[in-house]
Amino acid sequence: MTRVLVPLAILEGESVSSGLSTLLGPMDVTVLGYHVLPEQTPPDQARLQYEDRATAALDDLVAEFEAAGGHADHRLVFTHDREQTVDRVAAETAADAYAIPGVTGPVDRLLVTVTGDVAVDRICSFVAELVGDREIGVTLFLATDDEAGGRESIEAAGERLSEHGIDVETELAVDEPPFEALIDAATDHDAIVMGERAPSLRSLIFGEEAERVASESVGPVLVVREDPAGASERGDRPSDTT
Amino acid sequence: MGDTSPAGGTNVEGESPQVEATIETDEATITDDAELERTLGLSGGLAIGIGTMIGAGIFVFPGLAAGEAGPAAAASFAIGALVALLVALPTSELATAMPKSGGGYYYISRALGTLAGTVVGLSLWFGLVFATAFYLVGFGYYAVDTLAELGVAVGDGLVIPLALLFGAGFTVLNVTGTENAAKLQNGIVALLLSILVFFLGYGGLDAVGLIGEPSAPEQFAPFGTVSVLTTAALVFTSYLGFAQVATVAGEMKNPGRNLPLAMVGSVLVVGVLYVAAIFVATSAFGSEQLAGFGETAMVEVGRHYLGAAGAFAIVFGGLLATMSSANASVLSTSRAIYAVSKDALLPRRASHINLRYGTPHVALGMAGGPILVLVATGRVELLAEVASFLHLVMYGLICVALLVLRRNEPEWYDPDFRVPGYPVVPILGALTSFALIGFMQRASQLIGLAIMLATAGWYAYYARDVTLKGVLQ
Repeated sequence: MTRVLVPLAILEGESVSSGLSTLLGPMDVTVLGYHVLPEQTPPDQARLQYEDRATAALDDLVAEFEAAGGHADHRLVFTHDREQTVDRVAAETAADAYAIPGVTGPVDRLLVTVTGDVAVDRICSFVAELVGDREIGVTLFLATDDEAGGRESIEAAGERLSEHGIDVETELAVDEPPFEALIDAATDHDAIVMGERAPSLRSLIFGEEAERVASESVGPVLVVREDPAGASERGDRPSDTT
Repeated sequence: MGDTSPAGGTNVEGESPQVEATIETDEATITDDAELERTLGLSGGLAIGIGTMIGAGIFVFPGLAAGEAGPAAAASFAIGALVALLVALPTSELATAMPKSGGGYYYISRALGTLAGTVVGLSLWFGLVFATAFYLVGFGYYAVDTLAELGVAVGDGLVIPLALLFGAGFTVLNVTGTENAAKLQNGIVALLLSILVFFLGYGGLDAVGLIGEPSAPEQFAPFGTVSVLTTAALVFTSYLGFAQVATVAGEMKNPGRNLPLAMVGSVLVVGVLYVAAIFVATSAFGSEQLAGFGETAMVEVGRHYLGAAGAFAIVFGGLLATMSSANASVLSTSRAIYAVSKDALLPRRASHINLRYGTPHVALGMAGGPILVLVATGRVELLAEVASFLHLVMYGLICVALLVLRRNEPEWYDPDFRVPGYPVVPILGALTSFALIGFMQRASQLIGLAIMLATAGWYAYYARDVTLKGVLQ
């Protein structure tokens, strides 16, 4: 079964839109309620005060996902460092993807970008499982500077999805700034699926790409994580030093 | 590790200790319904330890210590380092067995019971308050010197007002500021270490090269051996920071490895720097002259070796160092208060977190208020010694706690780090800690004792019926 992690700043009232909980219906969902504390505050101190309220909110969310037909559970973490917490819980639950909630109504069409580091195969099989036999269309998107090679790989991916009976379109952005092209393409779609990116200088300066996509596109973004087995080979596992 | 005797009893207000079974992993503490992320790495732990200690030892004490012990002040600092090391090792073992916020208080209350726990926990609060006040007064001297270097001579009259202003400022910033200053603290400590290594390296070479120059060789210990020991008692405040690492033990990643490294490592680093600083300082000036320069003697030492640039680097370093010492110990104080209030030794509302900023404003206020009162007294040596007194009592008892736990190891006692040289190290640690108290000024001893008696009185009134011995949360 495929697991999606949904991290939410639970005590700041972050929640999921009905469109997202329906979209994630066929998946196993772990709702990660987290609360980021300033360094003046020991996490345990915050837990004593907020645990009950946060747990109640999480129970409600889990019920919402289950009402949409999915299997859901929750974790609650008090932390000083959001990113570290999401990485750790994603690794512990062996989540295949995580969600940035965003706002959307019913999802009719997904934009799936295969630009990036995560293998196209992995993204496609995630999308196939996500869509299942539902009436959700998929637009495959690739930004590249190699037109012929790009077309070939995106067509191949499109065929694989069509075999599952999914309505697929493809969109190739050649020699365009990838980020802007993706945001442009996102306008007619209700949610975005993308692969996670290894940290880079760019992400250090502008913030993580997925976060930027989410804030530009408003709708939910599902980020497919690197295959844990493949990632450890490349030394991508979250390190525990400093 | 949950199967321990239940926490018992209630305090006068009917609150009982909040105790829950937890599972500790390298990355988080897992309770029944929630997880607490461990986010501090080794460098963060070292930054807390070194950042808290370095301000006092390098930037405030050299002049005062040289005035009292002559060049042998270097030996006083070395003695301090030895005592600190003898305590840091047992503390490391206990910290890896119980990686919880609260540090020394936690181990003592669990090993020796509620009375010892209350006395140590509340004394730690006051000890940190005295220490913070001391750092702030040191900061005041550097602030005045900075103004003087910039050509604004305001005189020492402004030391206390400036210290008060910044003390209040830190408290307010800690209540309202949600920016993550930890990274800043790491940067400040790295910068300070670079300044010091460069300066002490240069000064050290210079001092060694100057041997045989006309500067009359001074007698090593002109005021005798006892003065070396009393000075060691005075400057011990320069070694309090490693125990503050233990107050954030609950937030340390991979505590089994990082806690011992951060505690022992920070003591070793600052110990070497202190001895080098005294050597360099007493090589530059006679100890009498150094004493005359007072709290900011190192600025003149900087000027002696590197001219105006050296003086400026030291003034700047002193400002940063005393600031980071003060800020780090305000945070430790609030954690110390939280630890005792969680165990129902203080009213629960002391650890309340405000909704707007997510900060423990009551505890921070209980730190900041008394700090300002003490800063207003401006008595540097007294503040330093009372801080050391209250910490040394805790250090001695930490060693006793280790001995007690090792004698009949409870089932839950499973430290990742075991102290080498058991039982000699903890026994020596306890004896030297208590002995050092004996070399303090009478006034400091009396104030320290009065505070401990008052905390024992609080126990009798407030928390007599609370049971903590052997209770793990």
